[in-house]
Amino acid sequence: MLPADMEQLSRLRRAIAKSEALPEEVRPLAFGVAEIDAALGGGLSRAALHELSATALQLGAAAGFALTLAALASEQAKQTLWIATDFGTLETGALYGPGLDQIGLPTERLLVVRVARPVDALFAAEEALKCRALSAVVAEVNGEADLTATRRLGLAAREGGALGLLLRHKVSDAPSAAFTRWQVAAAPSVPDGFGGLGPTAFHLSLTRNRRGPCGDWTLTWNHHERTFSALSVSVAAAPADGPDREALSA
Amino acid sequence: MWLRRLPTDRIAKRYPPDALVIAAPVKGALGLSAVNDAAVALGLRVGMPLADARAMHPKLAVADADERADFALLEAIAEWCDRYTPLVGLDPPDGLTLDISGCAHLFGGEAALAHDLMRRLERQGLQARVAVADTVGGAWGVARFSPALPPPERGRSASETSRVGVIPSGDERNVLATLPLAALRLPAETIEALSQVGLKRIGDVLDRPRAPLAARFGAEFVRRLDQALGREDEPITPRLPIPAAITEQRFAEPIALERDVLGTIEKLAAKLCALLERRGEGARLLQAALFRTDGKVFRIEVGLSEPLREAARIRHLFADRLGVIGDEVDPGFGYDMLRLAALVTERSEPAQTGLAQPDHAAELAHLIDRLGARFGLRRVTRFVAQDTHIPEFAVMAVGGTVSAHARASGHPVLGSGSPLSRGRAAVEQDSLIPTRPIRLLARPEPVEAIAEVPDGPPVRFRWRHVLHEVAHVEGPERIAMEWWRDEAGYTLMRDYFRVESREGLRVWLFRGWLTDAERPTRWFLHGMFA
Repeated sequence: MLPADMEQLSRLRRAIAKSEALPEEVRPLAFGVAEIDAALGGGLSRAALHELSATALQLGAAAGFALTLAALASEQAKQTLWIATDFGTLETGALYGPGLDQIGLPTERLLVVRVARPVDALFAAEEALKCRALSAVVAEVNGEADLTATRRLGLAAREGGALGLLLRHKVSDAPSAAFTRWQVAAAPSVPDGFGGLGPTAFHLSLTRNRRGPCGDWTLTWNHHERTFSALSVSVAAAPADGPDREALSA
Repeated sequence: MWLRRLPTDRIAKRYPPDALVIAAPVKGALGLSAVNDAAVALGLRVGMPLADARAMHPKLAVADADERADFALLEAIAEWCDRYTPLVGLDPPDGLTLDISGCAHLFGGEAALAHDLMRRLERQGLQARVAVADTVGGAWGVARFSPALPPPERGRSASETSRVGVIPSGDERNVLATLPLAALRLPAETIEALSQVGLKRIGDVLDRPRAPLAARFGAEFVRRLDQALGREDEPITPRLPIPAAITEQRFAEPIALERDVLGTIEKLAAKLCALLERRGEGARLLQAALFRTDGKVFRIEVGLSEPLREAARIRHLFADRLGVIGDEVDPGFGYDMLRLAALVTERSEPAQTGLAQPDHAAELAHLIDRLGARFGLRRVTRFVAQDTHIPEFAVMAVGGTVSAHARASGHPVLGSGSPLSRGRAAVEQDSLIPTRPIRLLARPEPVEAIAEVPDGPPVRFRWRHVLHEVAHVEGPERIAMEWWRDEAGYTLMRDYFRVESREGLRVWLFRGWLTDAERPTRWFLHGMFA
């Protein structure tokens, strides 16, 4: 390759990077867990689209993780919009107000829109992401959000400044323009001294990250303080489960 | 307006036979319920048994009566008449009442309006007689009974003028005096009774003392007389609610492009908003009526979360709405009239907005409106806590509008404290995990669960074909259903358990039973924790 071509190529790269870069002033959403924040370059970017996916059994956990992120992103005078489909609601139940309050997302800052078709969810998400009065937009979708759709949503999020979360009801490798992709599962909690249930724990796999490395983490969510803390960190690609669990139950 | 041959016109639009009668069962036999002009010329009359008619004219075309179709046609005509005035009343089975006061001049006067109406109906193959009068009763009688309006016969052209009667204001008395008493909208028995004493025309009773008439023929008779003469007010019951504000635009050339329609809507919206602004109001429900050249009318409604008077936003909302229902609204050969009406308005003072900060509340309201326009405002919801301990009813979804929420909860929306967390939930929050799930199934799903002791917590359960081993459990939390919700007289009891499986799945299970003891208990899964 000629040096001139290289020059051209790097100029194009810079142009693309510039056009895809996030606005500087937007503060990323820090998890408060050093390893994750380091991997993400300071935290989850607001004004961008992120994808969460889960297997059918783990949809409760995935919704919970989306809610915790929305709670973290929540700001005074801004609202969170949750977009659900009729089918998804039948399958996994509707959001339940008292539980949302307890997990840390005040319901008076939450709007729920229920749409009939998955494509409507994408339309609603795009409209909502453009709106500057929202701090986070969560859309429950299936496989409908393809590369084009996710790119549109990403651009809309950049315009409006809200945290865009796509909650996929299926784990898929389909191409996507999302900034990060996560696979979410519930992790066994650490029981309290009396054998009761411990704080909510998530097992997170970051499977795509535009800013840096991927990784697996197990976090617990403190719904009083609205903070995450690490339960275990695996730097390398972690095995599905097994060792972690035994370490915990020991 | 009287559509004198509505049932036969409905059918003859498709098949033009010579003589057509409509047959309907009368007292167990088929009788003629409607006839057309050709049939009248053959000597057939309404009420004649069908068998007689067939005997007279074996080749007679007969159709079954279909009152619903007739009514649907009447409604369609009424819908179309909406172009003249928003105040159209149905007068089944075959009449319409239009209140044209204040709008006749738009069509060049009362007579011109009536002619226009008649000509257009004629083109659709409908025979009508139209009368314009100061009173509903007067117009009714003249349209149906005035000899000055001879029934036209097909082919032979009675000039149109002869079928439009305009009674000059104050002249009802003279015109009505010549009409038969049936023109007063009286029941058949009353007319019969009146004719027995020799009273046949309205003029015969006009100057008689009222008290004896009322005593003999009923108060209804006198009331009808008064209504016809304008001594008593008779309101028209409009088919559709009368909008609070209306703007409309007619086109010399029909328009069909969506872009043109939306452009017109924006133009009309600007006028409408100016009108509303003068009144200090904003629209809560808007309706655009598209009048297609062939008489079909499409009505598109858009609800708003907050009183609105901004033309550009109104255009956006209709653009969204049209985007959804696009296929149903077929412009055909185009629209020749467009009307934008504010059906519901609400007081709205101009709010002072800060210059520096973006106006979040307004932007949010606009988003809610746009989503509402597309999916229906009922689908955009918020949660409001309810004062009950039954999980299903502890929270209610209300409309997403900011004001609806404030009204329902009594709390300002963007305030600091949450009505939910301040209440019962706050007390329970000293637990390590939330005590209520984040997702609740609309119907608790039955699960197979095994407990070690009869009233103990489950040790494993099978949900949606997957077996889960319980690792940790908290509970029970006993919730008795409110006794008044159970019609059988038993109170349903539930013991809720927060359950975590070995894999970390956290769900809300309950064991339900009835208080009358003997029944077996069953397990259900009601919700999911994070």
